[in-house]
Amino acid sequence: MLIKRTERQARRGNLAAFANQSDRGLGRRAFLRRSGLAAGGLAALGALPLATMRKAEAGPPPATGAAVAMRKSICTHCAVGCTVMAEVANGVWIGQEPGWDSPINRGSHCAKGAAVRELVSGERRLKYPLKLVGGQWTRISWDQAINEIGDKLMDIRKQSGPDSVYWLGSAKMTNEGAYMFSKMGALWGTNNTDHQARICHSTTVTGVANTWGYGAMTNSFNDIRNSKTQIIMGGNPAEAHPVSLQHLLEGAELNKANVVVIDPRMTRTAAHATEYVRLRPGTDIPVLYGMMWHILQNGWEDKEFIAQRVYGFDDVSKEIAKWTPEEVERVSGVPGEQLKRVAQMFATQKPATLIWCMGQTQHTVGTANVRASCIALLLTGNVGKAGAGANIFRGHDNVQGATDVGLDVVTLPFYYGLAEGAWRHYSRVWEIDYDDLLAQFESKEFMEKPGIPLTRWFDAVLLPKDKVAQKDNVQAMFVQGHASNSIVRIPESLNGMQKLELLVVVDPHPTTWAALAVDAGRKDGMYLLPACTQFEASGSRVASNRSMQWGEQVVKPIFESKNDLEIMYLLTKKLGFADKMFKNIKVADGTPVPEDVLREMNRASWSTGYCGQSPERIKTHMANQKDFDLVTMRAKSGPAKGDYYGLPWPCWGSPAVKHPGTPLLYNTYLNVMDGGGTFRARFGVEKDGVNLLAEGSYSLGSEIKDGYPEFTMAVLKKLGWEKDLTAAEMAVIQKVAGTPEKIDTVSWSLDLSGGIQRVALKHGCVPYGNAKARMNAFGLPDPIPQHREPIYTARVDLVGKYPTLPDAIQFRVPNIGFSTQKAAVDKGIAKQFPLILSTGRLVEYEGGGEETRSNKWLAELQQDMFIEISPADAGDRGIKDGGWVWVTGAENGSKAKMKALVTERVGKGVAWMPLHFGGWFGGQDLRSKYPQGADPIVLGESANTITTYGYDPATGMHEGKATLCQITAA
Amino acid sequence: MTTLLARLRNVVGALMLIAAAMSWQPAAAQQPSSVDPNASAVSEEQLLQQMHTIRGLGSIPDVKSYTLEQPQGQEWRHYHEVTLRWIGAIVILGVLALLVVYYVTHGKMRIEGGRSGRKILRFTAYERSVHWMMAACFVILGLSGLNITFGRALLLPLMSPEAYTALSEWAKYAHNFLSFPFTVGLVLMFFMWAVQNLPAKKVDIEWLKRGGGMFGKKGDHPPAGKFNAGEKILFWSICLAGGAIAVSGYLLIFPFYGTDVHNMQWAEVVHSIFAVCFIAAMLAHIYLGTIGMEGAFESMGEGTVDVNWAKEHHSLWLEEERSRTAPSSPSPRQRPATSGD
Amino acid sequence: MARMKFLCDADRCIECNACTTACKNENEVPWGINRRRVITLNDGKPGERSVSMACMHCTDAPCQAVCPVNAFYTTADAVVLHSKDICIGCGYCFYACPFGAPQYPRVGNFGTRGKMDKCTFCAGGPEPNNTPAQYEKYGADRLAEGKLPLCAEMCSTKALLAGDGDVIAQIYKERVVKRGYGSGAWGWKTAYRETITS
Repeated sequence: MLIKRTERQARRGNLAAFANQSDRGLGRRAFLRRSGLAAGGLAALGALPLATMRKAEAGPPPATGAAVAMRKSICTHCAVGCTVMAEVANGVWIGQEPGWDSPINRGSHCAKGAAVRELVSGERRLKYPLKLVGGQWTRISWDQAINEIGDKLMDIRKQSGPDSVYWLGSAKMTNEGAYMFSKMGALWGTNNTDHQARICHSTTVTGVANTWGYGAMTNSFNDIRNSKTQIIMGGNPAEAHPVSLQHLLEGAELNKANVVVIDPRMTRTAAHATEYVRLRPGTDIPVLYGMMWHILQNGWEDKEFIAQRVYGFDDVSKEIAKWTPEEVERVSGVPGEQLKRVAQMFATQKPATLIWCMGQTQHTVGTANVRASCIALLLTGNVGKAGAGANIFRGHDNVQGATDVGLDVVTLPFYYGLAEGAWRHYSRVWEIDYDDLLAQFESKEFMEKPGIPLTRWFDAVLLPKDKVAQKDNVQAMFVQGHASNSIVRIPESLNGMQKLELLVVVDPHPTTWAALAVDAGRKDGMYLLPACTQFEASGSRVASNRSMQWGEQVVKPIFESKNDLEIMYLLTKKLGFADKMFKNIKVADGTPVPEDVLREMNRASWSTGYCGQSPERIKTHMANQKDFDLVTMRAKSGPAKGDYYGLPWPCWGSPAVKHPGTPLLYNTYLNVMDGGGTFRARFGVEKDGVNLLAEGSYSLGSEIKDGYPEFTMAVLKKLGWEKDLTAAEMAVIQKVAGTPEKIDTVSWSLDLSGGIQRVALKHGCVPYGNAKARMNAFGLPDPIPQHREPIYTARVDLVGKYPTLPDAIQFRVPNIGFSTQKAAVDKGIAKQFPLILSTGRLVEYEGGGEETRSNKWLAELQQDMFIEISPADAGDRGIKDGGWVWVTGAENGSKAKMKALVTERVGKGVAWMPLHFGGWFGGQDLRSKYPQGADPIVLGESANTITTYGYDPATGMHEGKATLCQITAA
Repeated sequence: MTTLLARLRNVVGALMLIAAAMSWQPAAAQQPSSVDPNASAVSEEQLLQQMHTIRGLGSIPDVKSYTLEQPQGQEWRHYHEVTLRWIGAIVILGVLALLVVYYVTHGKMRIEGGRSGRKILRFTAYERSVHWMMAACFVILGLSGLNITFGRALLLPLMSPEAYTALSEWAKYAHNFLSFPFTVGLVLMFFMWAVQNLPAKKVDIEWLKRGGGMFGKKGDHPPAGKFNAGEKILFWSICLAGGAIAVSGYLLIFPFYGTDVHNMQWAEVVHSIFAVCFIAAMLAHIYLGTIGMEGAFESMGEGTVDVNWAKEHHSLWLEEERSRTAPSSPSPRQRPATSGD
Repeated sequence: MARMKFLCDADRCIECNACTTACKNENEVPWGINRRRVITLNDGKPGERSVSMACMHCTDAPCQAVCPVNAFYTTADAVVLHSKDICIGCGYCFYACPFGAPQYPRVGNFGTRGKMDKCTFCAGGPEPNNTPAQYEKYGADRLAEGKLPLCAEMCSTKALLAGDGDVIAQIYKERVVKRGYGSGAWGWKTAYRETITS
């Protein structure tokens, strides 16, 4: 029985609504009951429980005699990938135990991981399909829901074309779920499929991949134990990836390492740093170039590394020379002496690693930011070895996997892209005629054209039809596992929610889609379908370090919730292409078997190296976690001997090749069959006469002792290695080629037999080639990273010298960042809204927050939305710590009401809000708009009510980390 | 060597912390040019020395929980378990012992002139109700209060833990609820008798000098008003102690309404010290009002007292009363044969 | 016999609150009762340190000393437990506890606090081990299963240590030596009358 406790000195509010009993206006009976007196005498008093007991439920401890099973899964929250051990009795999840064996977390959790058992309790979960009828949430059956939704989708398709339906998938799906969702979008006939990576690390993926091949974490959390210098710039892992701190802190202690935190806030991570650098939000590039300026000045760069493995050094040097200490300090506020110290540590106390998260990515210059980070690593030779690397901490538990399997507007699964060659590859893999695939699309043009990023979904709904470069506006949103309050410009999104013909939300919780749409005036045409969590399903997920882990089903889906695959199966059956979609995937009891999906992924993913990660190998790893070494992540004994934990991709070749996985990317110190690698030859063999291939650098044991292009049949033939292919492999290669003339073009990523990869590996070579990393990424909007001021900046004096890129059409919609920036300067926005607003994470909550704020154990720890404000700014405004304030934003007359946290964590002129709250809008509590019983415990204003226009031109990433606001006492 | 380093680090850290704190003026620029957060880490020893209570910040609404360590709790424990027990035992048992000794040596104070048979009204029905309400409450309050301090040592050994818990729980409820009528009574009593208990310097000092007729020359009856000096002292003690007990008591039964744990500890100290002294004083009062003095009880029991008793103990009051009522003397009555003027 | 203690290494604690929620999870602690909490000193400033605090299971526990009904008892492992059946909710243990460990389900209404609840070192209470009755009143009894408190087992950075006092003191000492610094074993002097010197 949950007893609410009042605290009269409440520092922040209390949740009267959550109490079982109200504390005000007690009647006499209630008074007596509360004060513990019974109507009768001593005996009754002795029998009164006085809150010793809680209501008896199916829960701990197990019923006498019940067998207790242990199930192993992975935490569904962040991308560290902690193992969750679940004790299950009679089909009920009764307890959690530490998963000691996992090399990633060794039994540890953070607040969220330690509370996952609550997720399947169902207290505030979406239990049944709901339909919005006359503004009221009405329960319907799954059959009715699927039928109606399917019919409506087909109608919309007929009227407005396939691109008018937006398929918004999720980083919380398993790989199998995300892959099938991506496939579903492709078979439906649109590239408008996306997921959380857009708003999280889309700039990382594009920026980093365009530098050296893959846009993923190059090393691992465990590997940071080898670092001598850790620079955390634009990340707060103490709150966002707490268990990673186990490795960071212990490693730092053992190595006496430098831990440098560069952040506008003195975060909890900074509290454990050896050096803290405060910078103005949005000035990462000047700071990085500033470091590089000192490095070049003092000759600290790694000249050999640059000569052998880097392209474009001269071009970048010119840019670096502009960033003198004075200019850096003028723009970013970081003193030259401090930056010199940091630069020296980074360049000379090696191995050094650069760690980042949203602080670098969520900017209009996000792609450029991460590229500048990569350049800094290349400059100092801090890539491709233990303890170094770009340690990119991803967000959600399977955002890495979902990104890899192509839930992305710009590509098919596994980064094949959208060109005809990619589609033909998938037509072979999926065993669907290319022409059948093409027929589903509006046209070949739209088949090969990137879709609209989710950050622009409502622009695609609301802009005039001729401004959206497709047949019609987006008319329907099918959202499976994505919050609405993590997307910027909520006030405008409300109009979008109103206007849609159809809005379907598939989620374990109603989400702010439900509350905001109703608040926006929507009366019908909206459905909520209950999805189950990944604890109620099985499947694989990939952690930030590229390790794949398999999660067992802990309990069956509760109430009427269904797992993602089952929902897709039902829907595509209605839409008429389930047979195509699940062609080689068994469906047992109405649920597609996830192992079969993974096997199809193995067959598809030669480009990324998901080809060797078979379900059997992964499950063996899960069963033998204790065999894996803490630092190297390699199994020294046991059934998985020689493998790296989770077979981090690329795991080359078919499963039969038994490649051990690649824990450190681009590591030339190891043989490719031991996890070694090189920079990917992705950008051609030469540019303007300059050799793009590596010179004199190659992985250990490589028979080619120099750079080489990616492996195709042509390359094999040149080397005389095509003889190593088996007849069976040749047969497949010929089939892939189609005609004999095209044989030479069959590459390591298109060869469905895996033979080309196998042969390359046999000769110690990396299938994707051996090239230089690009400091100059020709082809990107800014080939050399340029500092550009945020759209809404407090430093209007710098906009002239560092403006954002010109307006352009990107991803089918206009990006009017330049005009917006100019208008902001002209209108003097920075005077009305003088505080720089940044956003970020809290440890207790995750993502949009609806799920974690519905978890009573977590919700108790952060009961109010708040904004951090410095004591100086608070003093100027008469704002007291814990007092209510109005935060107003620069666009849409936006306003939000929340509590103030007066703290020195933020510097003067900077304010900060957590991203996880929702359920309030403009000072109004929207609790009544949620379906009854499914409202989260804690509600609050969303940070994105205040955030503003600003999109990275390369990916459509929003600018969540630097905008402007004003705060006044309420 | 490492210890020295650790200590050195702490000292440096503390100094840096102070320096950093001092340099952090609101209007100043962003920050000092060198910040090593690890080096300036606070340590427990340092904080305990500075502040003796360590308070920080948490995220749950319960502000009490932000106190990390309050070693004062140990000090309070020592007070409650040791100091209070000694004080309480000495004061209460001491007074009891003194009373026994007095009774044995001096015996019951008699009405020397014998009862006259004539009565005069001393306390009205209102005054008596208030007194008895307070008295009844006091007895239960006192006993239940003593149970908290002494019950575990004296009563628990005599019964099962469950029975003792039930007893203590009821005692607690009785104590908390009866505090209200007691306080009401206290306030009423104050307004009822305050004026009459104001010191009348000459009379009171004289009364005290002569030991109130209890000590010193036998048969001595120093004059006194309605209330003699002894009673006045008692009255003001009751007001003071009762007031202190009431205020501290309400803090205790409405815990943490604007108070923190240290305030609560002090409230308990005040409450308990005054309470044991109050009990001791009441023992004396009850002795005097019952077995200690002939003719005393009926003043509060019936409201009227014998005129001779009044002449002996409150002569000035008697005169006042007589002059107030009609100058005519009361109808002649038979005097008891044994009395003598 | 092991003498059970807690030790929070504040230099490792990142205020992730895993300990807080692990305790809630394992013991089904209701809303409003916080057996364990994390407190941050110097929040937002350099020198910030966080400490996870719950009942320290003191030597010569002050709560045990002041309890008017003798509801506390110390086990052979030196774990300080209490009986909710005996407790009368007077609140004295909270005044005496240097660490604020006792929690009450109700506040106010004449101090009727309800039955005191606190960290049990995951060792349950006087009821027989691992019975539903014990669980409903006190939560899990992990010690009886040979396990340690879940808060320490799940700590994200291995900051919170729980177990035999000598063993964890040794772990902490080695840590401090290896890294060269340590802000102290918070609460040890007050609870156990000893400090750890490396």
